[in-house]
Amino acid sequence: MDIRRFAILGTVALGTSLAAFAASAEDVTISVWSLDRDIQPAPNLINDFNKLNTGIKVEYRQIQFDDVVSEAMRAYSTGQAPDIIAVDNPEHALFSSRGAFLDLTDMIAKSSVVKAENYFPGPLASVTWDGKYYGIPKATNTIALYYNKDMFKAKGLDPNKPPQTWDELVETARKLTDPAANVYGLTFSAKANEEGTFQFLPWAQMAGGSYDAINSDGAVKALDVWKRIIDEKLASPDTLTRSQWDSTGTFNSGNAAMAISGPWELDRMIEEAKFDWGVALLPVPEPGAERSSAMGDFNWAVFANTEHPAEAFKVLEYFVSQDNRMFKDFGQLPARSDISIPETGEPLKDAALKVFVEQLKYAKPRGPHPAWPKISKAIQDAIQAALTGQMSSKEALDQAAEKIKAVLG
Amino acid sequence: MKRILSSVTDGKGFDIGLVVLPLGFLFVMSGLPLVYNVVMSFQEVDMFSLGSFARPFVGFRNYIDLFSQPETRPILFNTALFVVASIGGQFAIGFGLALFFWTNFPGASWLRGLFLVSWVMPGLVVGAIWNWILSGDFGVLNFLLRETGVIDGNIFWRSDPNYSLWAVIIANIWLGTSFNMILLSVGLSGISKDLYEAAELDGANALQRFWTITLPMMRSTIGAIIALGLIFTLQQFDLFAAITSGGPNNTSNVTQYWAWDLSFRQYDFAKGATISVIMIVFVMFASVVYVRSTRHEVRG
Repeated sequence: MDIRRFAILGTVALGTSLAAFAASAEDVTISVWSLDRDIQPAPNLINDFNKLNTGIKVEYRQIQFDDVVSEAMRAYSTGQAPDIIAVDNPEHALFSSRGAFLDLTDMIAKSSVVKAENYFPGPLASVTWDGKYYGIPKATNTIALYYNKDMFKAKGLDPNKPPQTWDELVETARKLTDPAANVYGLTFSAKANEEGTFQFLPWAQMAGGSYDAINSDGAVKALDVWKRIIDEKLASPDTLTRSQWDSTGTFNSGNAAMAISGPWELDRMIEEAKFDWGVALLPVPEPGAERSSAMGDFNWAVFANTEHPAEAFKVLEYFVSQDNRMFKDFGQLPARSDISIPETGEPLKDAALKVFVEQLKYAKPRGPHPAWPKISKAIQDAIQAALTGQMSSKEALDQAAEKIKAVLG
Repeated sequence: MKRILSSVTDGKGFDIGLVVLPLGFLFVMSGLPLVYNVVMSFQEVDMFSLGSFARPFVGFRNYIDLFSQPETRPILFNTALFVVASIGGQFAIGFGLALFFWTNFPGASWLRGLFLVSWVMPGLVVGAIWNWILSGDFGVLNFLLRETGVIDGNIFWRSDPNYSLWAVIIANIWLGTSFNMILLSVGLSGISKDLYEAAELDGANALQRFWTITLPMMRSTIGAIIALGLIFTLQQFDLFAAITSGGPNNTSNVTQYWAWDLSFRQYDFAKGATISVIMIVFVMFASVVYVRSTRHEVRG
């Protein structure tokens, strides 16, 4: 049975002919876990899939963000894992490296729906381990620079020329910072959790650093720029403890002129921000330098001990076949370069999305490495040690590099 | 069999049963997890061996690794400071309030009840509220201090390494004060008024009455509150998660938050267990002190 036929049948929705399919075989039950709520993709796609009566019945269970990995681990080690799970992309390698996820390489090679070349390189790399595909990207997101065009105008800056390089960013932030009016030039997050790593790593990568060369000159320079921004109070010292969501909140309320954040802010910004704003690509170390960006969101994976690998993959194929609905129906960006984001009719949002899709081309996964959380923790500690002045950027990143070396073995 | 059954109805077997049942319950519900925790701290555990008990034994390597980490000492020190300052603050303010309400002015009991609001609120909510209060740029606390002329510039409570731990301590004192106050109020009301009348007739002033009657009579209550305070502060987790996440650079990190971070964020369950064992030792030491201090208590 071809997946495309499902899709066609689904759109035509001929109840009678579908009933015939349903009777033909005994239902196989596939269980799916993800953190999607009722307005998000998983439960809706599963509902639609079940209506097709393909002989595969999908059961859905919603799990909480903080429980995804621990629940999955417990379930897997006691043999009660679901067939399909959605995991955060930096956690993917943890499972694939230990053989807990099914190698989908051959199935993807044969599939007419899932094609590796359709995906952005970043998300695809996050499901890859040892040259094999252990999952399929579910959705993706990244970060870029939001800026307040009204403030640019007020300070005599060209609102159509957002900063392109780090120097320009710092210089622009200096001009926009206005303590008397409670305005910081920039807002971002250097929090002591994954968000801090998520925001810093692209900076290091743009300057030639990476998680396994975190004390390279470029990374040190990146951290120095961050330190200058904090030391000169171009960004609030609370950057160290504020999440991306809270930080961007200060941008929306007009207390920060620029913000580094992701497309998940767009709807809130449309509603809250009472000014003209735009989005620019993340500034690079110097003109012409390599671009990089963070990459967020979840991947689908099939657990290795599933009894119905073929059926599970069919369910995934169905999910993938619906990727063009990801944005329109659920506001999430598909991890694919072959799907264009439809216009929303909201000019600010449409312009912003173009930038985010462009930025996605440069998005790099964190890792992939099975011990990513430990690597990430070392990076967070280094960022914070340097920003609070307890160590120099070089010392802090040297220490992080040492910790990471111990993890990498 | 019959003898056993009859011994239950006779009484002796029943007595033994009364002892054995709760002991068995205690062993299963707290003894086993405790032992499991200690065992785990001597093993190499990762997420995939979490489900099985047969794991490589590594001796004291987890302990050695842990103590060779640069952040360990500061975190242990933070924990001690957090516990002492929190208990001290909660107790001092709680006792002050209890004495204040003890004077029984009109509406005292009603007002006292209102104080319990802080105690019934979930930790994460308290954390979120204090997160706003302590915010550096727009926080209420900074506003108050600035307007009253105590400070010139804003203090970044959550993000300044010199203040981050104190930010959580302040929130925790606020959270625990009402509980201290209620327990101390109960203790105060248990003291016979006759004692004070007699002391007053003998010419003891207020301070003398406090030192010679109130404090000695409250000894067991105070001991219990300190012991409970130790437990509550050592399990305080929500506030750290909500206010500082242990940052910046671990300056507000404490063992209980670190154990969680190691186990459930970094998936290093063995190290998480190792920290828990260190905490258990700490609590056991404290409870011995508590038991000894209340052994010769005065009963009114």
